[in-house]
Amino acid sequence: MFGEDDLVKSHQERSDIIFNIIVIAFAVLLARLWYLQIYRGKQFLSYSLENRLRKDVVRAPRGMIFSRNNVLLTHNIPRFDAVVTPQYLESSDETVTYLAVILGTTPESIRKIMKRYEGQAKYIPVVVKKNISRKEVAIIETESKDLPGVSVETFISREYTDHDSGAHLLGYISEISQEKLPRLRERDKYDYKQGDFIGQSGIEQQFDLEIRGQDGYQFMEVDARGRARRHISSDDLYSGIENKVAEPGKNVRLTIDRDVQLAAYHALEGKDGAAIAIDTETGEVIAMVSRPAFDPANFSTGLSSNYWGSLVMDEKRPLRDRTIQEHYSPGSTFKPLTAIAALEEGIVNEKTTFNCNGGYKMGGRVFHCWKKEGHGAVDVVKALRVSCDVYFYNIGNKIDIDVIYKYATLFGMGQRSGIILPRETSGLIPNKEWKLKRTGIEWQKGETLSCVIGQSFINVTPLQLAMFYSTMANDGKLWRPHVVKEVFSNSGQVLKRYEPEMIHQFKISKKTLDLVHEGLFDTANAGGTAGASKGIGIQMAAKTGTAQVIGFSADKIFNKCEGMPFKFRNNGLFAAYAPAGNPKIAVSVVIEHGCHGTAGGPVAKAMVSAYLNKYYPAYQAKIMAQESAGLTYPEVVEDNRVNPVAMIPEASPEDFYDEQGVLVKNFILDKTGKRVPLEKILETGPSDGE
Amino acid sequence: MINFKEELKRYDYSFFGICSAIFIIGILNLYSATHSHGIGPEQGIYKTQIVWFCLAWVVGIGVSFIQPKNFYRLAYPSYLICIMLLIMVLFVGHSALGGQRWIGIAGMKFQPSELVKMSLVLVLARWYSKASPEQETGFRQMIIPFFITFIPAVMVIIQPDLGTGMLTMLIFFLITFYRKLKWKTIVIIGLMGIVGGTVMYNFGLREYQKKRIITFIDPEFDAKGSGYNAIQSKIAIGSGQFFGKGFRQSSQGALNYLPENHTDFIFAIFNEEHGFVGAVFLMALYLALFYRLLWLASNVNKMFDSIVVVGVLAIFFWHTIINMSMVSGLMPIVGIPLPLMSYGGSNLLTFGICCGVVTSISNARNLF
Repeated sequence: MFGEDDLVKSHQERSDIIFNIIVIAFAVLLARLWYLQIYRGKQFLSYSLENRLRKDVVRAPRGMIFSRNNVLLTHNIPRFDAVVTPQYLESSDETVTYLAVILGTTPESIRKIMKRYEGQAKYIPVVVKKNISRKEVAIIETESKDLPGVSVETFISREYTDHDSGAHLLGYISEISQEKLPRLRERDKYDYKQGDFIGQSGIEQQFDLEIRGQDGYQFMEVDARGRARRHISSDDLYSGIENKVAEPGKNVRLTIDRDVQLAAYHALEGKDGAAIAIDTETGEVIAMVSRPAFDPANFSTGLSSNYWGSLVMDEKRPLRDRTIQEHYSPGSTFKPLTAIAALEEGIVNEKTTFNCNGGYKMGGRVFHCWKKEGHGAVDVVKALRVSCDVYFYNIGNKIDIDVIYKYATLFGMGQRSGIILPRETSGLIPNKEWKLKRTGIEWQKGETLSCVIGQSFINVTPLQLAMFYSTMANDGKLWRPHVVKEVFSNSGQVLKRYEPEMIHQFKISKKTLDLVHEGLFDTANAGGTAGASKGIGIQMAAKTGTAQVIGFSADKIFNKCEGMPFKFRNNGLFAAYAPAGNPKIAVSVVIEHGCHGTAGGPVAKAMVSAYLNKYYPAYQAKIMAQESAGLTYPEVVEDNRVNPVAMIPEASPEDFYDEQGVLVKNFILDKTGKRVPLEKILETGPSDGE
Repeated sequence: MINFKEELKRYDYSFFGICSAIFIIGILNLYSATHSHGIGPEQGIYKTQIVWFCLAWVVGIGVSFIQPKNFYRLAYPSYLICIMLLIMVLFVGHSALGGQRWIGIAGMKFQPSELVKMSLVLVLARWYSKASPEQETGFRQMIIPFFITFIPAVMVIIQPDLGTGMLTMLIFFLITFYRKLKWKTIVIIGLMGIVGGTVMYNFGLREYQKKRIITFIDPEFDAKGSGYNAIQSKIAIGSGQFFGKGFRQSSQGALNYLPENHTDFIFAIFNEEHGFVGAVFLMALYLALFYRLLWLASNVNKMFDSIVVVGVLAIFFWHTIINMSMVSGLMPIVGIPLPLMSYGGSNLLTFGICCGVVTSISNARNLF
């Protein structure tokens, strides 16, 4: 038996062999280094100095964005930059002077630009003029011998077919800033390069990783001055190298209908606000417009810092998407919710009437109705039709705010809808717990009275308002709104499809639905507050709303809104679904400081008209017949039951589209059923309603 | 009771000393390789590297005060923890550059495959020092250690990190060789390796891994541009000539001709800037470390300690020789860093722990 010492010693032989192996390995390595550095050193040195293999990035074209009918909304166009690489600039003065002549600027301005980048490494090209003309490109290319260090860089900029329309939805792209580069790499696990563009809002941001594609690269052999000699192909000296083709980005098909979108956009001309239309049967967003807007193309040219700055400084905040990133008091458009809650909870029924004399006293305070003289005896249908505040104050006195909260939540208010777009806000529906937590003060009864008419804490986004009306229209099916139908490759292969998704479905009794539907039908069609927005052949069921932006003392409530400073004027809201007898589309419109809910009427009308004209022309004939016969809501429902009309879209959408004529397609039907251009209805301004 | 003064008097500074010397060269070189990028995420990584170095040295010196018998006790638990971490990586790991190698611990990213190397050495040392250490090692004695190595190796390879996977197998072979692997067995294993390698190449390797091997054998063949690295690396080394271009004068690295010049290709930049002379000096430092380790392996009292020291040698040696060979075009390109020179926190930590372990063994050498 050995001791353990001896056992270790007995391995000495192996230890020696291992050391010999190490020495031999190092000797081989040194021999190799000798071969590379001494024997072939001169040759490699000349390679490193003279023959430079440059790896140029070939940028992948971003994917395109299409409307639901395959109309191109966003695509790419090439632009050119003149760049100077300081390292290769030999006779600096001469070259700069010549370049200035070609570009039509002064040598000083070019030097000034280059001075700005003096700190960075000399081999990094400096852009001296962006977006040069094709003629300038041609001159620089042909004169390259006399312009050492000057070259043209191609980049791809983004073009948006309809410019401002859809700016918020489509979003914009801009160059990734130096500081953000590492963080974005980490976040997306994507190797962003310097100079890469990235989506900053809307679809461009949300689907950036799909849209952006994979850049390729191309090897160029350049001479000592950095001028390209030739493209390297696989037959050349460096045959180990092959170029990688850029992989274009994926395309996105939206649920947006371009014609409805443009109708909404033009109808909002000169106003600040939002308009949104959704399909009541799928949750697809048909149109989504926010104004004031901006032209997203201005960002991708790189000439954006001034433009962006002016947008950020603008107190109207044009960069904000008012459809989902802003919330508003819904005002009277919220009343159907109160009516449904009260009917379902048995607080009122179809026979309950309250007397409106223009005000409602509670706790020593008078809550005014919008109509000073009062409405007299009011039941639920009339309350909706004339938008009687006192009727709802009576409910407010009996109903618990938590009940309102429960129903509003069922209809999708006060929570993010989950639409696949960035920075959606949730709005707010209050309850007792929230108030206590937020302010430390118990809920006050008087606050319920304000809430039931959509004031006070209640805040909804225009999208939520449209979802609410859509869910009323389809009897309790809350769809998740979505703007993207599918993501597909250039070869047309669908990679991702977004099917309609129901958030939940809940039961509302038929009696309640019939009453509310009738109330909203009457509001638009039987002398109600939205009567001014009645259009031919669209049969909207609608509600207007006027929301105070600031609180007024009692004596000022009845002052003329138009007489007040702009920013104190009331917001006008309008929400509707149509056709009332068989709803297909729900819309909501907010006109900031529009004074009256009816201000949004023409916008809603424009969207509904554009949609029904395009997809259900045959059904419009039936609607017109019903209108001329002056049918009431129950009669309309009966008529639809007895003589049903096929509700499949009758026009093939593809047939309908015309690349050029934008407004021509956005017609409405006049009283005789003839198609007239959209502009006509825009002239009928808001009249006094509510 | 441990007398701290006594402890310090007996303390073996040679391992941390040599390694610190190499690291200082490394950090200057890293600064040089990345400074000229001017802008971009690589600038300033040398600072991060210094932070990692301090951390690694604190941990390593801490380890050096652990008694070797505790390494013996820790062998199996640490091995099991490593296996669990590797399983975790496969399911919840972060991926970088196409591989799934990282897990986040307390906000830092960490590669468990690094830890595997050290714990594998401990397990193999424990096994070999207990199971008939008097005999020579034949096939029968190899079976269990082989599987002890094979399991984590395969898990690392499917991450996929072929380089580190192969490295663990090589560590196993060097230790087994030290444990008197019979020459007859070596010949048979060699033959099996050739056959197995051929099969593996045809069925087991990923496209990019195959490409690297093909590129190596025939750079002309390369279809996707991975020969680019090999060519540029050779140009970088060769253009350094005898004395090099000088500190911060590398053009290959600066112009980004050489990708990943701060990690796997750092040796090429070093050669470009300091030439053949620099390379000889650097390799002498590594050789001194190896020599010192082998001397220690033969001069300890316990078989376990001896094998652990050889294992640490194996970790250092294989990293060094593989990295230098691939950079100078003697081997296909696999992602193996150069110890103490390449940028990377996890592997610095590994080498720090290695130093700690062997220092501890050296300190305990004359204690009875």
